[in-house]
Amino acid sequence: MSGLRSFVARRLLLGAAQTVAVVLLVFALTEALPGDAAVALAGDQPDPARIAAIRETMHLDKPAYERLADWATGLLHGDLGTSLVSGRPVGRYIADGFGPTLLLATLTLALLVPLGFGLGVLAARHEGRLADRLISSVTLAVYAVPEFALGVLLVTVLALQLAWLPPTAVGYGTDLLGHPAALVLPVLVLLARPVCSLSRLVRAGMIDALASPYVAQARRYGISGPRVRYTHALPNALAPAVQQLARTVDWLLCGVIVVEALYVIPGLGTVLLNAVAERDVPVVQGLAVVFGVLTVVINLGADLVAHRLAPRAGVAA
Amino acid sequence: MPTGRFALGVAVIAVPLLIALLGPVFAGQPGPRAASFTLGGGHWLGTDFVGRDVWQQVLHGGRPVVLTALAATALSYLVALPVGLAGALTHRRWLEELLMRPLDVLLAVPSLLLILLAATVFSPGAVGLALLVALVNVPDAARIVRAAAAEAAARPAVEALRMQGETWWRMAVCYVGRSILRTLAADAGTRLTGVLYLVATAAFLGVGVAPDAADWAVMVDRNRTGLFVQPWAVVVPALLIVALTMGTNLLFDAALGGDRGRNAAGPRRRAGSEARS
Repeated sequence: MSGLRSFVARRLLLGAAQTVAVVLLVFALTEALPGDAAVALAGDQPDPARIAAIRETMHLDKPAYERLADWATGLLHGDLGTSLVSGRPVGRYIADGFGPTLLLATLTLALLVPLGFGLGVLAARHEGRLADRLISSVTLAVYAVPEFALGVLLVTVLALQLAWLPPTAVGYGTDLLGHPAALVLPVLVLLARPVCSLSRLVRAGMIDALASPYVAQARRYGISGPRVRYTHALPNALAPAVQQLARTVDWLLCGVIVVEALYVIPGLGTVLLNAVAERDVPVVQGLAVVFGVLTVVINLGADLVAHRLAPRAGVAA
Repeated sequence: MPTGRFALGVAVIAVPLLIALLGPVFAGQPGPRAASFTLGGGHWLGTDFVGRDVWQQVLHGGRPVVLTALAATALSYLVALPVGLAGALTHRRWLEELLMRPLDVLLAVPSLLLILLAATVFSPGAVGLALLVALVNVPDAARIVRAAAAEAAARPAVEALRMQGETWWRMAVCYVGRSILRTLAADAGTRLTGVLYLVATAAFLGVGVAPDAADWAVMVDRNRTGLFVQPWAVVVPALLIVALTMGTNLLFDAALGGDRGRNAAGPRRRAGSEARS
């Protein structure tokens, strides 16, 4: 038991270090600006008033460590800073974009888990036969395809040629639930890569587990096939898959940014891309901290769950 | 079955790879600009958003994607190999921690987020994009190198070499380096696929490329506005990117005999078979 506790302690420590690193890395961004940060950020409109305003908003006249301390204290209180472009607080931007992104992520995850596990178990049950070969080849091929290329092809075929679905979510605003047809393509594109990687992992884990001595022993006892598969073999195949599910969050984030740009959905990804284009550093920093900390926490949770499922596997920590 | 997969991979990747490598040679001089998003009129695939010939853009547009991805993959190993090998072979615990722990921390940052962060501050060109993508891949690659090298370094053969008084260099490069080659080859395939994905996606989002660059990902992005009138300017580069990434993954998987899946599932089995040979 002490092994488990020390693992949890070490993993929590790593998580804390990662959170601090994300905050430092994101803060270092302003320091990395070449020359005078305010002048660099003013870019196309270098009039003195705007430069002064930027300097004022970002407190550029203070030394870096003081700004870091202020910013970090603000983060702890949920104050993410103020936009350079509009003067609105960054928290408002996040609140505006949160709904559509959360909806996309929830829908994708809710479909991803049953689809990924289902396909993986199906392929493992028919190992080497047609169903397995088909699933393995298709997942291997689709796994690598960037979302934007897949998405644009699906739009061309399903929306333009066949006119089954709307090509983008333009005009629906944040009320996406009221227009479910506009959600089909984004969710389909978001699902493509994670489903492939998850089902491949589940398949590999299931095949290993089904070939193991304890499953053979369970079969000799006369335990029924489904029970062997789902209560004895599947839990062992689960540990790597749970971790993959957490890594998927990284992909979902990449995917959400691309998919929102492609289908014109006003979520956090769109907010981030707009801020990057306008060099609105406080907004980019605020979003990056939120995304980064979210990733750290979810990976931490997944590693702890995976360790609980298969303590021998030696999860990295 | 593996030969069938191999043939499929070669068939899928042949067209985009040939266009990417040889396209610029056959593209010839660009003609005068025509109206935007037209079909016909001497333009085989129509014209793009500023009235350039789409076929010519397609011929030019593969090279940046492929070259940036190859350079980024090579660069990431250039850093990851020495770091991972040193981490595995050193006997000083603090040095190993010093080399590997910062990478664990960096692993936590989502890759596209890091690239977008950098894009806010600098305007990276193609070289900058390659460096960024390489940087994103270093932590994971170094971990894999270290794990494989640590396993090889713990074998009796290394003990024997040490007792014979062989130099560190001979042990590290000639024995350990050679024994991890297979794992590295499998990892390189996965990594190249991931890098291609990242390079294309970054270009689609406008990072590391000029807004009117001849680049398949940029073509997809910029010509989307004309999707209704002139779909070829989007569909052809999108199909080429799909074929390129799919083909890379299929080809590496077939060439390594499905080794990648087994690698993740149970490295012990492989270690046993290699110790015997």
